[in-house]
Amino acid sequence: MLMFLLRRLAVALSVVLTVSVIAFLLLHLSGDLALAIAGPEASPEQVAQVRAQFGLDRPMIVQYGAWLADAARFDFGRSFYFRDTVAALVVQRMPVTLTLGAISLGVALVIAIPLGVLAAVKRGSWIDRAALIFCALGQAIPTFWLGLSLIILFAVNLRWLPVSGSATWAHYVLPSVALGWYAVPAVMRLTRNGMLDVLASDYIRTARAKGLRWPQVLFKHALRNAVVPVVALAAVQFGFMLGGSIVVEAVFSMQGLGHLAWEAIARKDFPVVQAVVMLLATIYIGLTLLADLLNAWLDPRIRVA
Amino acid sequence: MAPFAYGKSVLLAASLAVALPGAAFADKANDTLIYASDSEPENISPYHNNVREGVIIAHHVWETLIHHNLKTGAYEPYLATSWSWVDPTTLDLELRRGVTFQDGSPFTADDVVFTFNYVLTPDAKVVTKQNVDWMTGTEKIDDYKVRIHLKGPFPAALEYLSGPTPIYPAAYFKKVGLDGFAKAPIGTGPYRIVSVENGKAVKMEKSKTYWKGSPIGDPSIGKLEFRVIPDGETRMAELMTGGVDWIWRVPNDQAAQLQAVPNVSVLAAETMRVGFLQFDSAGRSDPNTPMKNPKVRQAISHAIDRKAMVDNLVRGGARVMNSACFIDQVGCTDEGVPRYAYDPAKAKALLAEAGYPNGFDIDLYAYRERDYAEAVIGYLRAIGIRANLQFMKYAALRELSRAGKVPIYFQTWGSFSVADASAFTGVWFKGNEDDMSRDPEVKALLDKADTTIDLDTRKKTYAQALSRIAEKAYLLPLFSYSTNYAFSSDLDFAAQPDELPRFYAAHWK
Amino acid sequence: MTSVSASGAAPLDDVPLRRSPLARMAKRALRHPGFMAGTVVLAVLLLCSLAAPLITAYDPYAQDISRRLLPPVWQAKGTWEHWLGTDKLGRDYFARLLYGGRISLLIGVATVLVSGTIGTALGVAAGFFGGRVDLVIGYIINVRLALPVVLVALAAAALVGSSLNTVIIVLGLLLWDRFAVVARSATQQIAGADFVAAARSIGCSTRLIVLSEVLPNILNPLIVIATLEMAHAILLEAALSFLGLGVQPPLPSWGLMIAEGKQFMFFSPWVITVPGVALVALVLAINLLGDGLRDVTAPENRS
Repeated sequence: MLMFLLRRLAVALSVVLTVSVIAFLLLHLSGDLALAIAGPEASPEQVAQVRAQFGLDRPMIVQYGAWLADAARFDFGRSFYFRDTVAALVVQRMPVTLTLGAISLGVALVIAIPLGVLAAVKRGSWIDRAALIFCALGQAIPTFWLGLSLIILFAVNLRWLPVSGSATWAHYVLPSVALGWYAVPAVMRLTRNGMLDVLASDYIRTARAKGLRWPQVLFKHALRNAVVPVVALAAVQFGFMLGGSIVVEAVFSMQGLGHLAWEAIARKDFPVVQAVVMLLATIYIGLTLLADLLNAWLDPRIRVA
Repeated sequence: MAPFAYGKSVLLAASLAVALPGAAFADKANDTLIYASDSEPENISPYHNNVREGVIIAHHVWETLIHHNLKTGAYEPYLATSWSWVDPTTLDLELRRGVTFQDGSPFTADDVVFTFNYVLTPDAKVVTKQNVDWMTGTEKIDDYKVRIHLKGPFPAALEYLSGPTPIYPAAYFKKVGLDGFAKAPIGTGPYRIVSVENGKAVKMEKSKTYWKGSPIGDPSIGKLEFRVIPDGETRMAELMTGGVDWIWRVPNDQAAQLQAVPNVSVLAAETMRVGFLQFDSAGRSDPNTPMKNPKVRQAISHAIDRKAMVDNLVRGGARVMNSACFIDQVGCTDEGVPRYAYDPAKAKALLAEAGYPNGFDIDLYAYRERDYAEAVIGYLRAIGIRANLQFMKYAALRELSRAGKVPIYFQTWGSFSVADASAFTGVWFKGNEDDMSRDPEVKALLDKADTTIDLDTRKKTYAQALSRIAEKAYLLPLFSYSTNYAFSSDLDFAAQPDELPRFYAAHWK
Repeated sequence: MTSVSASGAAPLDDVPLRRSPLARMAKRALRHPGFMAGTVVLAVLLLCSLAAPLITAYDPYAQDISRRLLPPVWQAKGTWEHWLGTDKLGRDYFARLLYGGRISLLIGVATVLVSGTIGTALGVAAGFFGGRVDLVIGYIINVRLALPVVLVALAAAALVGSSLNTVIIVLGLLLWDRFAVVARSATQQIAGADFVAAARSIGCSTRLIVLSEVLPNILNPLIVIATLEMAHAILLEAALSFLGLGVQPPLPSWGLMIAEGKQFMFFSPWVITVPGVALVALVLAINLLGDGLRDVTAPENRS
């Protein structure tokens, strides 16, 4: 187990490093940094001075090393646009996105798992079919369209919930549904298939044959086994949600990381963009690592592989 | 009204009517006016941004030496109590005693001297240099008297001193620097900034130390909150549900419909903002750009039906502009300035003469009113020019344009609400970074006009410059803007023609 | 598909199953409601977009701002002249919709061509050669998965300037991971098969084996992925357009039409509903088709 853990950790670290190269290149492909920092009206001397001051005249590889060392200490320099450090901006916006992601995942699981179990138990019935159609529709509706529709219905017409912002828990309800919706199909399918496999397995048949009551079989034995891959998927989906929250944050004017990144892109504020890319990628890698370890812990066969 | 209203919007209005009474608009009870707009100033320091949202904050938190009374047109004492011209390039001002900054420190000549000398230094990186570079320096005569030296005779000096030249607290600014000032700014104005949250909100409250007898009156509303809501529909939804109390720049189609929503008032007013097309006539984006050819620029000028755009898209109080400035600004005129009538056939002929019988592909850049930009693209397409829209945030686009990478720019300019032609032409034609034509002849004429005291000669010289601009089609003025304000019916708000909402003059009903 | 029969899937002495595998597949397809519904809807949408000039006489770019925002025919003031109404610049909305379908479909197909090529090449190489090659490619897939798609696509579009080509290339370069994963595992299964070993033993070159034996046999799962990724690309383009960095006006794409119709959502909802429904129908049809294909082409009938 320790070997497995170390090996996975090494792979994860090297992926983080590769992503960091991409993020670094993103910043440097965005144009001459010295020009960007000095401003459009700066004289050539001022630009040269900035170049020297920020070490932009050094070889790329040296600059990357310095940048990486800073990034490891969570120092991504200063925003071109806001008069603040990138790290401060990110720390300000992070909680909104994390909260949104967590609630959305909760929404997705609460909808998808019961639906998946039901569809599997009532396989072939109208419930099963309805669940599959619901899934197909879920994949076909653009997130932003869903978000706007939710605003029209629940915020403007019914006035049950606020339109935009992230001040109270009520502000999170509509965005979480819009974002969580996106993950429902995948989780539901996995639950349904997992349940079908488990229900068809020998030990469930044995359990039933022994005369155990159906709900007990279902929840104590079947669901517990079927849910293992779902837990891993949930971790990965959480990573996707953090990356995908950009659209939802834009629709609901939530001041999270996604929104920060979107505005930074529109303003060519690449130090911020790069930091958010780096951060989201690292979180995702961490989550998949966690999912892998979880799987290995729950299913010893994987460790050998 | 409501030409396109039908079942659903009636339903919407009805459901609003059912849900509303009393409960939703709680801000009156809190004495907090929340106003929302799409973008925030990149730096709250008024000299370091040139967006409208910044100008609004500037006029609530800071004060200028002189006040321009829009009703009478007179220049009135503000932070200065009196002034006199020593000669055409030297202005002496007597300063008001007993005014304090919001941190309690007194306002004196040192603050004026520091502010005006600081903004002239290159390190200050003032965004709109035209606002200040008519001065060469300011000296202190005594604690309450200053002398401003001008670069040359500048008839619009008082107009500038009553607009984009707020006074900073010298001691505080020196202590915290520009970065510190951007995060926690203070001024002498009627409102004090409580917090600046990047990309989110700026909160203000009534200043307790505000001086009595100010020409702008005593503010009534206790707290102001500026919220950044990038999405127009979200802003509208917030207004309809009472989340914010005031929005502006509501598109005409929606403004007409909003009028039917209970508890929302709508107001349309012409502004000093002029929309125009700017061409890369200097060929900086590409040495072979068709924009270098005057015939191409003239063809474009003939291709666009500005009247139809005003009648169908802009509406409100908007007017077609034929001169590169806002027509009511002092010195601005379109008499004798060549005009381009809508004539697609002539446009096509000109294009063929220029060597582009089949048109060409080009990028058109814009940062606001996407619909107007798209309508322009539609007109260009009709004469064979295939323009692609590049829609960007203002700050990014400004940088791109200043770097000379923009062939056609759908630009707008509100002249910082300065009612003088120099506030328009000075920015776009005097060889600065925003000048895309860089014609020395135009610059020479403008230099002369800007510094001429005699109004008639001044007007004639502007007319010459404006004629040359039109003749060469360096810039195609489209129309003046009309802005739709929409706000809570609890609010008593009056719009001014200079596109500057004055919340200090607003009050709850 | 000759190679399928070459793999010996259809035992000839089995009397009730004497029909060719293709015919059996066709029969399964006809009985699959999702597959049929998806195929029919997609075919209709495809035909309408391709035959746009025959269906409408209007130029989707011709504006008449004195006749803007005319309502569709089912509303009080609607007319058959513009039966879906006109948009904010007075362009015929039906013509915009038809020509917009072309752009959305083009984005789907072209993106999948790019991403499919990249993903398949990587996946086949990993599965065929195994060992270190597999490790490296697995690693590349991991890196790709770690990058947040929307964010990276937005940043890339902002860097090079947004346009139709940018959208296709950027999405193509990002959406290949599922192709790679599926191609890898499918190739692994094939690489050990007898006919590949046989081809090797008679001295066929690697290239020939991959092209003539491996690719044809992993085509079915790849086609399934291709349809699903097509839908994914179309949705992502819509999201990019919504965020302002997708297809640029005046090109009509359905995503852009929704994004631009957004300002009318409170008072003239049809402006956003019409392209929205079209987009959902398209994506749903492609997804149903993809899911159906998976069932229909599966070695044994799972569903």
